[in-house]
Amino acid sequence: MTPATPAADVGGRTATAGAAGSPAVAAAATGRATGTAAARSLPPAVRDLVAGCRELGAELRTLALAVDRAPEDHRLLRRCGALELLRVVGTPERFRPHPVPAWAREFTASCLGRVAANIELARGDAGVLNACAAPSLAGFTVDALGDERQQELFYGELARTGCWTFFGMTEPEHGSDATALRTRLDRDPAGGFLMHGTKRYVANAERGSVGVVFARVGPTPLSIRAVLLKRPAPGFTGSPLEMLGLRGARIGEMRFDAVPVPEEHVLGRHLPLSRRGLWGANRAFTVVRLQIAAQALGVAHAIHDQVRALRPGRPGHDLVTARLDAARQLLYDTAAEVDARPDDREPACVAKLHTTHLAVRTARWAERELPPSALAGHPLLEKWCRDVCAFEFMDGTTNILRLAVAPAPASHREGS
Amino acid sequence: MRETLAECERAGHRDGLAAGLGPALDGAGADAAPGSVAALPSAAVPPRASLVPHPLAAREGVSFVRRPARHRTAAPERLTALAARLAAVRLGLTRRLAERAVDHLSGRIGGGEPLIRRQLVLGTLADARVELEVARRTLRVAGTLPAAVAEVHDRLTELDWELAKLLGGSGYAGDGALRGVVVSRLVANCWVAREATGEAVP
Ligand SMILES: Cc1cc2nc3c(=O)[nH]c(=O)nc-3n(C[C@H](O)[C@H](O)[C@H](O)COP(=O)(O)OP(=O)(O)OC[C@H]3O[C@@H](n4cnc5c(N)ncnc54)[C@H](O)[C@@H]3O)c2cc1C
Repeated sequence: MTPATPAADVGGRTATAGAAGSPAVAAAATGRATGTAAARSLPPAVRDLVAGCRELGAELRTLALAVDRAPEDHRLLRRCGALELLRVVGTPERFRPHPVPAWAREFTASCLGRVAANIELARGDAGVLNACAAPSLAGFTVDALGDERQQELFYGELARTGCWTFFGMTEPEHGSDATALRTRLDRDPAGGFLMHGTKRYVANAERGSVGVVFARVGPTPLSIRAVLLKRPAPGFTGSPLEMLGLRGARIGEMRFDAVPVPEEHVLGRHLPLSRRGLWGANRAFTVVRLQIAAQALGVAHAIHDQVRALRPGRPGHDLVTARLDAARQLLYDTAAEVDARPDDREPACVAKLHTTHLAVRTARWAERELPPSALAGHPLLEKWCRDVCAFEFMDGTTNILRLAVAPAPASHREGS
Repeated sequence: MRETLAECERAGHRDGLAAGLGPALDGAGADAAPGSVAALPSAAVPPRASLVPHPLAAREGVSFVRRPARHRTAAPERLTALAARLAAVRLGLTRRLAERAVDHLSGRIGGGEPLIRRQLVLGTLADARVELEVARRTLRVAGTLPAAVAEVHDRLTELDWELAKLLGGSGYAGDGALRGVVVSRLVANCWVAREATGEAVP
């Protein structure tokens, strides 16, 4: 299923580009990586990663309109060397089917690496980036909750087939309030469990072959479990939903009608009860939230780049550049904080709140800055104005994040 | 003017974008557009027109048409009046979206109670109501002032987004609850003749 050796192609090309040293040096030589103060503050390994991802982003861009038009066309995606490399780069080192170029290793080494990389990749095109058959959120969950055999099962399938993954949490009746989810795991008298329920708005719901689904074994929040599911399985069906933007993500609905789940596919069995379900995956959710924030900023950059190309020299550009640079610094600082204190969840909420909002604002600014009919006349720009809205709904909506970062009441002494 | 605006708002609210676009254009064709592309109801596209394909717009019954090479853009006053009528249509669509949000949130439980009772949600809906009243009055008293009409369009775009957020994933994917307002923004982008301000606000 996977193309011959596209990773080697991409890696090889990048390595050639960096013949005089690292990809960062090569990109700087072409005048593209001089960057901002925020970018210059990055450790050298992350700077190399950024430069490499900028090249991959350019390749993603070439597919942007085609994926938006026909997200179901998998041949296109399978031929894309950048996507194949990203799939392997996003896999933990010990499960990679083949080595990745040295500059790409930082991607899984730190949250800062992931964030810096995602900005550049999404600046290429976030719709195509989200079409990548990578471990994604399911992978993070398996890393956090899976035992050795479960990790082997998940990553083994990925390495063998290059399949898409899914992460099923949201349901038709419950999204933000995940603790209220209704999908059930009933005891199967023959052993293991039977899953019943429906998930909706799940990326790769139809085409994903392996992933994680959350369901409950009892009424309390502590009775929520994450389980590994593979396709095909009896009673497991899925269908895509029409999307306004970010159409490469192919979100859809998954239905479970007595789907057998063996006992050994329940994640976190080796962990204490309090670390098995939603709470066990909290660290992973924080990193993913920042990745989403980074993608929002990447799209904002893409929009700004295009406006600047269409209307160079306008007075508004400096201010927009300043806003985007500040957001980038916020993301870098937050990612470094997450690397240092992975259990502190608030900084990532602040960063995601700001960048998703800024990205939507940047799209509106573009609309005002350009002459009439610029959106209909520039399909990429118009697409990004739709794509940029998706991040609001991924990994915490504005209201939920606002509630998370709002200060607790100050304690007042009586009579004061 | 006032009655025409009210009729456009009613059409947008009751019948949707394509139905409202007819009265808003009031006979104007692609050649009247201020930019290189015009937005027309698909039913009114002349044969052999050069189209810019847009599947979402097509599903709303709207087509983007390249302006003929030799053409005469409508006079500024006519374009402003057109943009004001189009804003009234959008007002109708936004009102419809607000009703949809109330309906959706009334039936959706989060943290043990309907989301419509959450104060952050109510705040957004209250602000939307105020914005709609102001937009309607602005069109009525300043519908001949290009900057005022353009500002109404900008505020409607923002308001649509605030309401869209309330629909959660159900607005962005699935039955197309947001498609009308997304396309209405593109339509406005074709017909609102504004000199780019150069401001980077808000
Ligand atoms: C592009 C995309 C990709 C996605 N990918 C996945 C995926 O892979 N897997 C998955 O499981 N899900 C996925 N989702 C779904 C996403 O996680 C949900 O849409 C999100 O959690 C919000 O849930 P909801 O849509 O049910 O909205 P709701 O929770 O119903 O919220 C509706 C509105 O009410 C507000 N609200 C909710 N609770 C409160 C409160 N207590 N106080 C104030 N306001 C409140 C929200 O902010 C929102 O504005 C994806 C969605 C999109 C758009």
